[in-house]
Parts: sequence; structure tokens; C-alpha cells
Amino acid sequence: MATKLRKFSRSRLSKFIAFSLTVVLITASMVMMNLIYDSEVNPEVLFVENYVQSETFVYGKLSRAVRDVINHFVNDTESIKPEPEYLYYITDGEKAKYNAGLDDILEHEKYLYLYENEQWSYGENTYKNVQSYVHDEFTLYLVFTEEYMGQMQMQWEQEKAWLLPIAVSIVIAVVFSLLCIIYLIAVTGRKAEDDEVHLSPYTDRIYSDIQLGVFILVLLMWYFGIEGFLRRFRYSERTDILSMYQYFVLIMTGILTAITTIVCGIILLSLVRKLKAGRLLKHSLIYSVFSGISNFIRSFFDDSRFTHFPLTKSLNRRQVIFTVASGAMVFFTFLFMLASRNIFVWMLPVLFEGIIIFWYFNENNKTFEKINQGFQASLKEQMKSERMKVDLITNVSHDLKTPLTSIISYVDLLSKEDLPESARDYVSILAEKSGRLKNIVSDLFDLAKSTSGNLPLDMERIDIRRLIEQTLGDMEDDIEKSGIRIKTTLTDVPIYIYSDGKKLYRVFQNIIGNALKYSLQGTRVFIDMDVEDNIVNITVKNTASYDMDFTAEDVLQRFSRGDKSRSTEGSGLGLSIAESFTWACGGSFKVEIDGDQFKVKLGFPVVG
Amino acid sequence: MDTARILVVDDDREIAGAIEKLLLMEGYDVIKTYNGMEALDALVANQVQLIILDIMMPKLDGLSTMMKIRSDRNIPIILLSAKSEDSDKILGLSMGADDYVTKPFNPQELVARVRSQLRRYLQLGDMHNANSSAKIIVGGLCLDTEKAELYVDGEPVKLTAKEFKIMEFLMRNAGCVFSAEQIYERVWQEIAYSVENTVMVHIRRIREKIEINPREPKYLKVVWGIGYKIEKV
Repeated sequence: MATKLRKFSRSRLSKFIAFSLTVVLITASMVMMNLIYDSEVNPEVLFVENYVQSETFVYGKLSRAVRDVINHFVNDTESIKPEPEYLYYITDGEKAKYNAGLDDILEHEKYLYLYENEQWSYGENTYKNVQSYVHDEFTLYLVFTEEYMGQMQMQWEQEKAWLLPIAVSIVIAVVFSLLCIIYLIAVTGRKAEDDEVHLSPYTDRIYSDIQLGVFILVLLMWYFGIEGFLRRFRYSERTDILSMYQYFVLIMTGILTAITTIVCGIILLSLVRKLKAGRLLKHSLIYSVFSGISNFIRSFFDDSRFTHFPLTKSLNRRQVIFTVASGAMVFFTFLFMLASRNIFVWMLPVLFEGIIIFWYFNENNKTFEKINQGFQASLKEQMKSERMKVDLITNVSHDLKTPLTSIISYVDLLSKEDLPESARDYVSILAEKSGRLKNIVSDLFDLAKSTSGNLPLDMERIDIRRLIEQTLGDMEDDIEKSGIRIKTTLTDVPIYIYSDGKKLYRVFQNIIGNALKYSLQGTRVFIDMDVEDNIVNITVKNTASYDMDFTAEDVLQRFSRGDKSRSTEGSGLGLSIAESFTWACGGSFKVEIDGDQFKVKLGFPVVG
Repeated sequence: MDTARILVVDDDREIAGAIEKLLLMEGYDVIKTYNGMEALDALVANQVQLIILDIMMPKLDGLSTMMKIRSDRNIPIILLSAKSEDSDKILGLSMGADDYVTKPFNPQELVARVRSQLRRYLQLGDMHNANSSAKIIVGGLCLDTEKAELYVDGEPVKLTAKEFKIMEFLMRNAGCVFSAEQIYERVWQEIAYSVENTVMVHIRRIREKIEINPREPKYLKVVWGIGYKIEKV
């Protein structure tokens, strides 16, 4: 039931009917009021039964009569104009003015007003409240004939009979229209489906203050339209039949009122809707303009204006604003000091400067905080990517090594099978190449680990001289096989460095192995060692067996091989590994090419 | 018990298959499993003398499997892994593995390691039974000073007099690092002068005799830039 009522009360149709009804009722009451106004019927007829008691009579007729009589007497005029409808007699004891004899007057004592000895006395039927400025020692008789008063009373009642229904209908119309308005205010913006406030897409788009302006303007236009413009057409003389002019005025009044009611009604309901939605003030032109201006000004001082800028750029902009504003404040301080002797005026720019400084430091702090956060984030990111790199190397290594294990194992199994001679050759090639692939993969990961900085190091104090000797002893077989002699010039005393012995062994193994592999037969490899400025320098020199048409940089490129034939064993990574291991172990690594001389120079800081 | 039974655990079926065939050729009995869980189940159901265990496996990885096995068994375990870092090897060995082989491995080397581990495991009792002060034992090495013989996993190894003296000196002080000079002075009883090469060459020869892979020695190690030592197992 309640929902049904709600549905009905919130339906478009009932709202529309209520609105139309309001317009019609207000228009009708306005027209009727105008009619009353035009008819010049005294509204007092509605409230006062007898004409003689009415204020129209007391303050109008009676007071004017007293004044006229006194004026007539004091000014000593010929007669009262226009011809009075009452009888009077006035005297101050010496002279008298009258339009009827005292006897005649006293005959009509029903409506007699007597002023005597500075006070009033009244006839039996009179309304006892004459307030007129009589201050001399007059004696005044004033009387209205029963005939006249009866006539006036009749007219009074006639008017009442005419006015009462109209007045009642006005009251009813006003009451109903008010009820309609209250209803409309209650339901506007509501829909039957929900309890939300729905703003109209058309009228509610207009700013509240503009609506209010239009509202007032329309009301003013209506008022002046009726009061000023239409007044000209008013017919001044009272008649029972309405003239053409009066019709015109009434119709115009009706149209004007209807339009005004419609416009004002729409605006009023729109305002009410906004009020319900809590957007009455926010959705106004003034608010928009001011908030726009304040946002614009504020945007200079908080970071919102610079949000899309890089942080350093926003710092820079803020610095510019700060400098310019501070400069302006200094200028103003001087200006104010010259202009005024008031200390408070001088303090004004200083105060502003204080605010600017506070703003500047505050915002800069925020920016620095952001930069710091960004820095931390990027550090974290970098560590994460570093870890990912290690994981990647580990995973790729695993993924390469696992199939390689299968290959090597099955090649080995294959070699044990009873195979024809040619197949045996193929298998031996497979075995050799898979072995080489194993070395390459292993070297590759060593290199990847050391160049990505993930080489685990076991640093200790070691004797570099002993390490070279050990390496040479370890490689004795290879040296003998190569037919190359090695000439070492080492220091007499042990030279201690802080490094990873196992990695350094790889370094020397690779360098010496390289020298043996690419040396011209019959030449010697020189390994020299000397200490200079607490740095131990080790040089491995050999004479190349081929034309070295490459630079020192090329040699260290990964997979670079001195001779461009890549048929022999080895991964081609030897020198690269040696270089990157040396750097990882805290040494320096340099390759020099001087004619046929190939030189590798290593340097390590000496420890005590 | 003629044929030893070996449990092979590797999630890569081809590798497990290859190892199985290799070992079958050598005359061993082989059980294949593809993860740690299966391996544990297989151990319950079978009498096994050696385990070859991959580290990176689904479900239960090699190290965890090994810890479970080690909690109640003393079977030799050879770890097999693509992780070739020293730290990985040290971790594996310290957690109870008897050997550590990196992938890709040389099949012959793996077989040799299996053989050596089995020999040691099956003959260990004898070595301990013949316990006397004349024997120095380090891991699978057993040096008999009276007979002047060195056994590696129970297998006698022929050493020269100097080599034997070096081994005796180093094994008596297993875990300690000695420089070439110190070794020379002890063994040769002469004043050492420029002896690094001499000692190094001897060390290399010994390694070739006692190590399965002399390039990756298990016992006799060079401490680069410092000296030499026998690893204390």
C-alpha cells in the first residue's frame, strides 16, 4: 500500500498535474485579486458587518468630515466643497458655521458626533472612536442622516455579497496551491524506483545563482508588469460592467502570472532538488569561479601543477617560483618602507616571505622524499634483477647441461656397441665434439657468472710466485708436449697478494695454455715478474706462430680466436675468462700486441 | 652377494636410462626411480648397496632425499648435479654424500667412482677389523706403514719410495697445508732450494695413481699459491 502510494505520488503524471494545478490556481487567484483591485471594493466589507463601524467610515468619511468642517471654520471659507452629505454645526461661542440648524441636527441623533468641552460624545448608534485633532474650544455637531447611512449600509452589504465568494475562492486557491507546492517540493527529484535524488539533465545544469537571478528577475518583471505597465490601462471609474480595458488587463495579468508561476516554479523545484542532493552551493557560478581561481593559485604552491613533470623539473620550477616570489617580497619590503612608517605594513612582506619559505622547504622535502623512494625502489629492482640474472644463469646452465649429459652418456654407450668401422669414426667424432661442447658450456657459465659479478670468491693471502710455479708444474705435461720452452724470471722472495688461488690458477692456466698453443715452434715463452710501487706485475710473452691481424681489444672479445680457424679444441673463451677472473680477483689485465709479440700483463696489489 | 644393487634416481629418464645401461654393462643390478619419493619407496622394498642421486628433482629434491636416507642408513651416495660450484659440492659432501659428480659427467669416470665407492663400502669392515697403529686411514685411503702399501678404496696402489713418503707425511697431517719446501725438507731430508717444480711433479704423479679424476682431485689437493694437502674426509 505504502509502495503503491509512493509509486503514485512519485509518478510523472501526478507531479505534472500538481504543477499545472498550482499554475492554474495561482493564476486564477491572481486574476481574482486583480478583479477585486479593479473593482475598488473595500475588502473591509468582509470583516465588518456595519458600515458605521468600519474604518472606511471612521477614518475615511468621518475624519475627513471633521477636518473639512474645522478647516471650513478656521479658514472661514464660504462653504465646504464638494457639497457634504452630512449636517454640521460648529461654533466657538462668537461665530458659528453650519449647513443645518441645530434643531435639525439634533433630530438625527442616531448618528450624531458632538465635540464639546474638549471631549467627544456620540449618538446611540455611533462607533465611539473618533480620533481627530480638535484642540480648540469648539463645539461641533456633526450628523449623518439615517437615509444616507442606510444607503451606505446597503451598498456595503451589496459589496460584501459580491466579494465574499471571490475572497473565499482566492483563499481556497491559495491554500490548494500551497499544498501542491509542498507536495511538489517533497517529491521532486525522487523516482518511484529508488530513494536517490535525481537531478534533471536540463534545468539542473544551470548554476544555482543564475537560477536565483532569473527567479528574482522574473518576479520583478511580473511585479512591474502588473504595477506599472498594466496600470496605465486601468479603468479608473467604477462600473458594474467590465470594460474592454479591464478584460485586457485581466487577461494580461493572467498570462503574466501563469508564465511567472511556471518559470519560478521550475526554478524553485530545481533549487530544491539541488538542495536535496546537497549541491545547491557547490553548483553555483560563484562557487565554481572561486574554487577555480583558488585551485589555480593553490596549484602553484602544492605539487599538483607539477605532477606530470619529472621530480627534478618540479624542483626546478619550484625554485624559480621561490626565487621570483622572494625577490618580489624584498622589493615590496623596500617599497613599503618608503611608503609607510607603520611597522606592521613593513612586516607584511616579511610574513609572506616566511610563508613562502615554509612552503618551499615543505614541498621540497616531499619531493626529496619521493626521489628517495624512487631511488630505494630502483635499488630494490636492481637487486631483484641481479638475483634473476643469477637464477637465469643457473637455470640455463641446468637446461643445457642436462641434455648434454644424455648426449655424452649415450655416445659413450654407442661407442661400446659393435659398430661398423665408419660408424665407429662418427661416434668418436661425436664423442670429441660433445666433450668440446661440455667445455664450452662450462667456460661460458664461468664467464657469465664472473662478468655478472656473481662469481663466488674465496679470497686469501697467497704467494703469487709459488702459484705460478705450481701452475707450471701442473702443466708440465702440456709444456713438454707443445715443444715450447718456458723461461721464467721470478722474484727471489715470495710475493704475497690477497686473491682467490683457484681462480688465479685458472687465469694462469688459460694464459700459459694460450701461449703454448699459439707460439711459433722453437721460440720461448717468457714469464716475467717484478714488483713496482707495491704492485706485482706479471708479464707472459710469446711469439705468435701466425700473422696477428687483430687488435688487443679483439682478442678479449668473447669467442674471439686469434687465428680465425676455429677447428682446434678450446672454447675460445680462455682469455676472456682469464680477464674477467683477474678483475674479479682484484687484479688488472692487459693485452699488448707488438709485432709478433703477444703480451699479457697482469697486475696485483702486494700485501705484506 | 655377487652383484651389487644400485639405485639410480634422476628425473631425466634418458640420463637414468643411460646410467642404468652403463652400470648393467659393468655387471651391476640397477633400480631406476625418477624422484625422491619413489627412491625412498624403492629403498624400503629393496636391498641396495649404492645410490646415485640427482639433486634437482621434482617432489623431493636430492639433498632432502639424502637427509632422509642418512637418518637411518649408511649406504654410499653419489650425488649427481648440474650445479658445479664449489659451494654446491661442499654442501652436498658435508650433508653426507660420499661423492659428488657434476653433469655433464664422463661415463667412465662415473663408473670408476661407483666401483670405488662399492669396494670401499663392502670392504670397509675388513679395514677396520685390521685396526692397528701401523695404519693411517683418511677417507678411502689406507696407508699401511709396516707393509709400505697404500690402498685406495681397498685397492692397493703402487707408489715409489718418495711418493710413499710424501703421502705418509701428508696423511699423518691430513687437513694441514704444507709448502713445497716443507715437504721437500721432510721427504728428501735436504735443504730446499727452488723445489716447487720437483714437488709439484711428484704430487701430480701421485694424483694420477690415487685419484679417479686427477683434474678434480678428491684427496690430494693443491692449495694454489700456498702449498699441498690431503683433504680430511
